[in-house]
Amino acid sequence: MSDVCRITPDSDFLRGVLAEGGEDLKKCFQCATCSVVCDLARDTAPFPRKEMIWAQWGLKDRLVADPDVWLCHQCNDCSTRCPRGARPGDVMAAIRRETVLHYAVPRFLGRWANQPKYVPLLLGIPALLLGLVLLMGAAIPGNYPASLGHGTKIVFSYWNRLPQWVLMGFFGLFTLLALAAGIAGVVRFWRAMKAADARAGNTAVAKGLGPSIVAALRRILTHDDFGVCTAERRRWVSHFCVFYGFAALFAVSVWVMTARYNPLIPDDFVYPFSFWSPWRMLANLGGVLLTAGCLLMIWDRLREREHPVAGRFSDWALLATLLAVVLSGFLSEMLHYLRMEPHREIVYFIHLVLVFALLIYLPYSKLAHLAYRAAAMVYAEHTGRTRRTPPMHESDGHS
Amino acid sequence: MRPKAALVPVAVLVIVFPLGYTLVRSVLPRGAEAAQPFLDKPQTESARCVLGADTNDVRFHHMDYLKQIRDQAVREGKRGKVGLNTCRECHTSRERFCNQCHNAVNLQLDCFRCHYYP
Repeated sequence: MSDVCRITPDSDFLRGVLAEGGEDLKKCFQCATCSVVCDLARDTAPFPRKEMIWAQWGLKDRLVADPDVWLCHQCNDCSTRCPRGARPGDVMAAIRRETVLHYAVPRFLGRWANQPKYVPLLLGIPALLLGLVLLMGAAIPGNYPASLGHGTKIVFSYWNRLPQWVLMGFFGLFTLLALAAGIAGVVRFWRAMKAADARAGNTAVAKGLGPSIVAALRRILTHDDFGVCTAERRRWVSHFCVFYGFAALFAVSVWVMTARYNPLIPDDFVYPFSFWSPWRMLANLGGVLLTAGCLLMIWDRLREREHPVAGRFSDWALLATLLAVVLSGFLSEMLHYLRMEPHREIVYFIHLVLVFALLIYLPYSKLAHLAYRAAAMVYAEHTGRTRRTPPMHESDGHS
Repeated sequence: MRPKAALVPVAVLVIVFPLGYTLVRSVLPRGAEAAQPFLDKPQTESARCVLGADTNDVRFHHMDYLKQIRDQAVREGKRGKVGLNTCRECHTSRERFCNQCHNAVNLQLDCFRCHYYP
């Protein structure tokens, strides 16, 4: 016997994993079928077998510093082939949720954003803050000035009580806060990954950071990692729709928010766009894509009767928020065209509250995966954890 | 290349299209129209708009003020001095003033079906 390794399980962590989708974790008997069938795992130190035993033992420290947890795209090739029904794909998702909670800054927001009982509070805070902004405007005689420091450009607001500069200030401030919290979490995650590799003696660097970022970005944009999934091919389609729909809406939002200061816009009239303006067409198309992707995802979850996903709050919360954001957006656009006066503003208010919730809770919700998974993918490229080639299902055709 | 991978450049192109469109349009020569200001300056000595002193306020709320004036005239019978005709005294060209913004947002107005405003 060499060293004696004393294991100190983190029972809170284990309870969290078991409660949020990893309830079959303890059925695992370490046969390693999952690691063999996973096309995303690399040949040396593959996943998710090692994560399954770490999770069974409650080794939180290892799991939260493990990039492999995030390289998994939950295609569930492993879960469908698991002889024990331990659902490693779902366990990995539960571990990711625990990881987000672990790195959440401030921690209480992480706890709130992941429990159904806090939903009224989570939506109440933005509603209250936005309500206060409205009340402050109402207290000023003649409301907020429609425009501040606008130069020559004309920007109309959707609602006179919330001129563009008020919305920009409000959302800008809170987006910066969320961004700071997100960066803090990802930096801690990155350091933990480095420290874990240093302890294990893996200090090899395969690529510089710049090329690693480019390679990871290429994989994200092409949805390459979803592409090797065989059990649920449709996930490629639904995530593609949601990803690019979201990207389109984000691009239009940034354009509108900065339009007043944008020297590229030659006209003095900036906003609103006409229906056939390329920007509005892009926004509408993005909304349609996002809706279609969300509906596909919901359909896929409801179809899966053998493994009901009703208990997984963070998953449903993100899907519901995204869908509610896009549907309330479309509804307020429709009511605007119908010129229904108080209705369009009420729906717009709800839309803003939901957008606020999506933005501000980003570092704590399931949407945090866009930061953590991206970081893990860059780290994987950086340290040479690239997946095995060619993918197993193309070479030996297992079904 | 898997067939679905072809969708990626399509999606990226669609997202970048409005930016490219705006860029190209900002670079292209814009002809005689560009020489004119977006909105015609009022053809008058008076610095003050009849609807209000604050240009910004009038710009963003003129529709509310005009509707208010309309309601007073047709529902309460109170006809003041201010109306579309007084607008016309300074902003002589509808095409070069009102329509500039209204056209930009495809706004269809029914004001001018009855009210003469060249």
